[in-house]
Amino acid sequence: MTNVPFLLLIEDDDAIRTALELSLSRQGHRVATAASGEDGLKLLREQRPDLIVLDVMLPGIDGFEVCRRIRRTDQLPIILLTARSDDIDVVVGLESGADDYVVKPVQGRVLDARIRAVLRRGEREANDSASFGSLVIDRAAMTVTKNGEDLQLTPTELRLLLELSRRPGQALSRQQLLRLVWEHDYLGDSRLVDACVQRLRAKVEDVPSSPTLIRTVRGVGYRLDAPQ
Amino acid sequence: MNPAVAGGGKPGRVRGWAAGLLRWLSLRLRLMLVFGLVALAAAVSASAIAYWLNRDAVLTRTQDAALDDFRKSLKEATDPLPAVPTCPELQDAADRMADNTQKYEVLLIARTEGGGPCTAASADDLLTPRTVPESLRSAVDRKRAVAGSNTSPYHLYWQRITVKGTPYLIGGARVNGGGPTGYMLKSLENERQDLNSLAWSLGIATALALIGSALLAQAAAATVLRPVQRLGEAAHRLGEGHLDTRLEVSGTDELANLSRTFNRAAERLEKRVAELSAREAASRRFVADMSHELRTPLTAITAVTEVLEEETDALDPMIAPAVQLVVSETRRLNDLVENLMEVTRFDAGTARLVLDDVDVADQVTACIDARAWLDAVELDAERGIVARLDPRRLDVILANLIGNALKHGGSPVRVSVRPVDDELLIQVRDHGPGIPKDVLPHVFDRFYKASASRPRSEGSGLGLSIALENAHIHGGEITADNSPDGGAVFTLRLPMDASRLSQPDQGPGQGSGQGAGQGGGQGAAGRSDARGEGEGRDAGRRGPDEGSER
Repeated sequence: MTNVPFLLLIEDDDAIRTALELSLSRQGHRVATAASGEDGLKLLREQRPDLIVLDVMLPGIDGFEVCRRIRRTDQLPIILLTARSDDIDVVVGLESGADDYVVKPVQGRVLDARIRAVLRRGEREANDSASFGSLVIDRAAMTVTKNGEDLQLTPTELRLLLELSRRPGQALSRQQLLRLVWEHDYLGDSRLVDACVQRLRAKVEDVPSSPTLIRTVRGVGYRLDAPQ
Repeated sequence: MNPAVAGGGKPGRVRGWAAGLLRWLSLRLRLMLVFGLVALAAAVSASAIAYWLNRDAVLTRTQDAALDDFRKSLKEATDPLPAVPTCPELQDAADRMADNTQKYEVLLIARTEGGGPCTAASADDLLTPRTVPESLRSAVDRKRAVAGSNTSPYHLYWQRITVKGTPYLIGGARVNGGGPTGYMLKSLENERQDLNSLAWSLGIATALALIGSALLAQAAAATVLRPVQRLGEAAHRLGEGHLDTRLEVSGTDELANLSRTFNRAAERLEKRVAELSAREAASRRFVADMSHELRTPLTAITAVTEVLEEETDALDPMIAPAVQLVVSETRRLNDLVENLMEVTRFDAGTARLVLDDVDVADQVTACIDARAWLDAVELDAERGIVARLDPRRLDVILANLIGNALKHGGSPVRVSVRPVDDELLIQVRDHGPGIPKDVLPHVFDRFYKASASRPRSEGSGLGLSIALENAHIHGGEITADNSPDGGAVFTLRLPMDASRLSQPDQGPGQGSGQGAGQGGGQGAAGRSDARGEGEGRDAGRRGPDEGSER
């Protein structure tokens, strides 16, 4: 990761694209832009950005589909730009693998804060490792292996797993996790946590539908347990 | 007239179903009563006439036969007697007369030779001079002048009397030419029995007519009331909002006409309501579309205004205020569009709850803190009150209530949080002048301005309305009032667990919010599908419960 974050902005509306590019550039980001999902996917392969800011409403393949296609091969962070904060969009967006979302009309400052928070998730901080059953979390290398195989986790999924693994056996509320992982100062959307937990379970659990590692604590939140 | 009718006339006295029943009964009873009265009048008058005619005929025939016979036998019996008969002779004549087909008893009175009167009765125990009424005796004894059409001085008179409960015909005549006076007494017992049995049968016939009329009335009532009842039910359904209610029309009578009128009215009403709701939906859609459309340029403008804002210090002092104005007004426009979007979501019923378990005191603190209100707000809340609600919506409510209190009331604003039973009670109280009485009912109205002269406030005019909608979607309520100690008090009540609230228009949507909120195991399975090809969206979204883990 270079010092200047390199973003790919996929947005079909010229005015918004230009304005956001201007705003993000001023916040110290390097920005590449694409006007459609197809162009965006092509740019992604050519330029390897650190993060993607993706509009949901796109001509041709929509933002959700772009998101899904990226997630098939890549674990880089994606922030959705949704013009409609209608809940169904948010849920679909989170399920298609987005790390966070921002509702239009978005303030540049808010978007910048989200971008930085997402990027921080990939930063290393400790030099130890922990194992939960067959799952080994190497905090030094920022890798997670299960039965010796490397797991492809997005930075957000990794950060969530790290935060949970730092307090094994202790339940963390969704709001706590939002503060720790997403750095939402307050009032985060708890569905971010739920969607991310589901994605994480799909990768780390033996049977995602009956999780043994990441347990739901009714009325509180989530807890990472070492399997007995 | 009758109690049922009176009851029907004053339905206010009796409540509920009893009133309805009475109304139905009353109409039914009224019909039956009218039928009954008509039948009674007809039967009674017919019976009475028949009875009197019969009675008259029977009595006249019996009387005439008896009196004719009496007249004849009196003549026959007294003719052979001497002018002054002896008592035995008289007795003998009386006995002979009594031996007749008409079965009457005879009493003969004559002056005997001795000068004293002699009475001879065929039945001493029954017919004595004392039995003969005075009026009859005087009529018989009265001598009339022979003149004109009157050919004889004495006439035959008769009268009906009752002796020991038995009706009798008593008749008497004086033999013309100074003969004895004869009386006859005939029992009318047989006739009475005949007439009694006639009366009985007429009574029974009347009763039968009454019963028949009641049955007829019942049938008539049924044919009239059933359509009326159907009409009533249809009107009731229509009133409940089933505007597609129609009646089956059969026949051409008044009731069919009424049904047709009802159907026409319902049709027009349905059409009108459909028109109105279509118009309303169109205008709502317009507002929704408009706010959507406003968002795109606003997003671009907002992004750029921030760039401008950061540059104001370096700008020409003449230009800087203009830029500042653009920036601040853009922000306001943003808020307004945001609120409009929120309102249209509520109006369209697409607003959803995203529930989470939340420490209320933390949330309130976070809300106040995030808006830098800590200095102006006193918080009275215990930590550890955990409620299941939508934290974003709670924040919207609190921000609007506290913001409103700060703006219109003035600090210190006091916020207290208390759990009451299974409800959460949050009170926001300011120390301002309070809310005028005439404004109080309108504080939650959209774009309501307390007074036209009041300068434009910073708010969008939608804040309290949105706060109220947000409370409603939780199954809660907000009330506004003035504190007796001065200042306005807004009271927010929310259920401790909003997930218990089943929202009727939120079938899968509710599942979406909550399913995702609870992150069930099955959701994870759906999610892996979604990752693969996006087929399992619904399954993923509706990840049902935590139960699968336990």
